[in-house]
Amino acid sequence: MSRFFKHRWLLLAALVGLVASFPPQWYPDAWRIELSQWLGAPAYRALPESEPAAPRSVRAYCPEETPDYRAEYNIAGVRISASPVCQADNPWAVAAFVRGTNQVGPEVLMKSGLAPDTVEKGADLDGDGDPDEIHIRLEVAELNGASPESSEPVMQFEMAPGIKPGLWVFTPRYVGMATENFESLRAREGIRAPSPAIRVEQGDRVLITLENTHYMPHTLHLHGSDHAFRDVSGEGNDGVPIASELPIMPGQSRTYELQLRNTGTKFYHCHVQPQVHVMMGLQGLFIIEENRPDNWLQTLNIGAGHVRASSVGVRAQYDREYDLHYTDVDAELNSMIQASNDVRTVTESMHRRYDVTEATSDYFALNGLSFPFTFRESLVLTKPGERIKLRVVNGGRDGMGLHTHGHTMTVTHRDGIASPPAARVTRDVVWIAPAQRLDLELDTRNDGIGAFGPGIWLFHDHGSRAITSDGIGPGGHISAIVYEQELGPDGWPRTSGVSWDPFFTEAYYQRRLPVWEAYAPGWFGEAGSDGRLLLRIILMAFFLGLFLALLMDSARRA
Amino acid sequence: MLRRFAAVIVSLLLAAADLSAQDHHEHHGHRMSSDVSGMTMNENTDRLPSECAEISGHVNLTVHAGRRHAEGRPGAMFGFSDHVFEAGPCSLVTVTLVNDDEIRHQWMIHGLPRYLYPGGMFHLETAGGTRRSGSFIVPGDARTYLVHCDMPQHMEKGMKAQLLVGGGSGDLWAVPGTSDAFRREDYLGTGDAWAALGIFIATFLAGLILLRRA
Ligand SMILES: [Cu+2]
Ligand SMILES: [Cu+2]
Repeated sequence: MSRFFKHRWLLLAALVGLVASFPPQWYPDAWRIELSQWLGAPAYRALPESEPAAPRSVRAYCPEETPDYRAEYNIAGVRISASPVCQADNPWAVAAFVRGTNQVGPEVLMKSGLAPDTVEKGADLDGDGDPDEIHIRLEVAELNGASPESSEPVMQFEMAPGIKPGLWVFTPRYVGMATENFESLRAREGIRAPSPAIRVEQGDRVLITLENTHYMPHTLHLHGSDHAFRDVSGEGNDGVPIASELPIMPGQSRTYELQLRNTGTKFYHCHVQPQVHVMMGLQGLFIIEENRPDNWLQTLNIGAGHVRASSVGVRAQYDREYDLHYTDVDAELNSMIQASNDVRTVTESMHRRYDVTEATSDYFALNGLSFPFTFRESLVLTKPGERIKLRVVNGGRDGMGLHTHGHTMTVTHRDGIASPPAARVTRDVVWIAPAQRLDLELDTRNDGIGAFGPGIWLFHDHGSRAITSDGIGPGGHISAIVYEQELGPDGWPRTSGVSWDPFFTEAYYQRRLPVWEAYAPGWFGEAGSDGRLLLRIILMAFFLGLFLALLMDSARRA
Repeated sequence: MLRRFAAVIVSLLLAAADLSAQDHHEHHGHRMSSDVSGMTMNENTDRLPSECAEISGHVNLTVHAGRRHAEGRPGAMFGFSDHVFEAGPCSLVTVTLVNDDEIRHQWMIHGLPRYLYPGGMFHLETAGGTRRSGSFIVPGDARTYLVHCDMPQHMEKGMKAQLLVGGGSGDLWAVPGTSDAFRREDYLGTGDAWAALGIFIATFLAGLILLRRA
């Protein structure tokens, strides 16, 4: 009884401490107003200081890995136009794709990295000065895949700083190592997303051998390009496992045959579990050019982008030509190949656990890259007064509203079919359904309709998701129409807005950097924490603990 | 006379075809010979590693590559017919890679002395259905060398091997049939977790009863 008496004062002290330490900012509003009537408003207390800017490593905007690729070249008799962006395509590979890897000399082939039979060109069937027998060999590569030895992805391909989703791509056959070198985990030049754009001529006899170097079954489905359902030997030729033929198992190959009577911008993709395989990246542009004399075509355009050796037909009408391949990535799906190294588990998660009807896209790429890496290579360059052909495919899950700043686009072809001139529409937003191809014409004469004059003019899907990377903007597939006068010597556009340092920092896309810190330091920084509130909460916790302990002790003794 | 002339022309053409089909180059310092069926890089049959006075012996390895060699290895997709090779110090090793698939495979070894092998590697590459041989001389110290196919995901899905020189210096990780994967999944379902929980509860209750009796 005497101890209870002794503790009573302590109990009371704990209660007083608890009440006194309760933060006034959490009192009910009515109390606070009432209190201020008696005592006046409490004294000024500054909000917490901004956190100091964290140290970070900013990537080089333009790493200058292959500056010699930018110039105009004449290789093996092939005129390769200049491509003054930061990372231009390998001109020796372009020459090998134009002449045929079986026709160029060993020097060109070596610099292209390709095998002698990657693109074989044969007879001139119609006698018009260009080869009409084309044999293309493709393999399947997995980028950013799993390893039984480490949790780092292998065969790395970075879409944007720190963003490395698992991807599958068709690739031309190269020789030797698939990585840059033994010390590096980075995929070699040319093994990348997206799958290459394929270009052939109307009337060509085309063979495409798909060598399935991947660990899952795949096929090639030539969406929209003239081909028979069965090949000459009677075997399925459409690449659709439920209708025409068995898929190509790992380690096997199959040759598809085309005899092209039609022309236009078409599409190709794997048709095994297409809701997954197409979205993983097994899709590319397939372009059939009009038959013209001496029409030596760049059979493959690695990573799509600038066509450095356009067809005779395109050169007659346009100053430049670009292949623009839009794709998107659902991180849930694309991480499945990184989560397991067991082909059975990967197959189960991708084809049974994954539900595409509940899918949402997280990353958006133009020619395999997201902003700011799009600016390294996927710019549309122009000079004032040019006509430019854009071949666009929407390889994503959803439709997209492609918008150009400062320019309008004229839709000349839909899915490779020409629109009659009277029916051609000119817009600054064009809708592109999934798998749809549009041929667009840009006219960069400064007339206030087609173009508003020189500058760095963005183009992107105007739906808000695709201009972000997992919700962080600017990201996604933002790129730009850039007038050459705006380019620096390294091919980097001389933008006059905010610093891009944050965008070249992995931490930015991991949501760890304040968005406007680069140009408004202090104003929108990371707010620090409220030490005084924390102290009050700690005191409250202490008094509450003491109070409850004493209360229980008293109850037990009573 | 005409026939002899024709024979000369044919042999000249054949020689030209042979020259164009077999290219020998220096590329990034690598010595490389390639043709449509594949490639050999950094072949070496006469230059000795510094610690070797002479070639101690000749080891012939015939290695098959392909999907069928992953049979019996659950979860894998590609494989070699052997994943562990042995050679004596300073021996000349000739590898014949036989590709049993219709796609490209490689036999690539890393970690060789760079003064003899640019990049420290010797490399055989075969197109589907072809075979190719090449030779290299191994150093004199006991060491384990990584051998693999560098095609994307081929090493990960089974095409990893090792060459033990002079008995080697221990096994590498994740060599099929020899050493465990460093990363390994659990392969357990929720039912397995419930079973463990059930056994825990049963043991706990039984223990309580037994202890109370004692
Ligand atoms: Cu597929
Ligand atoms: Cu292989």
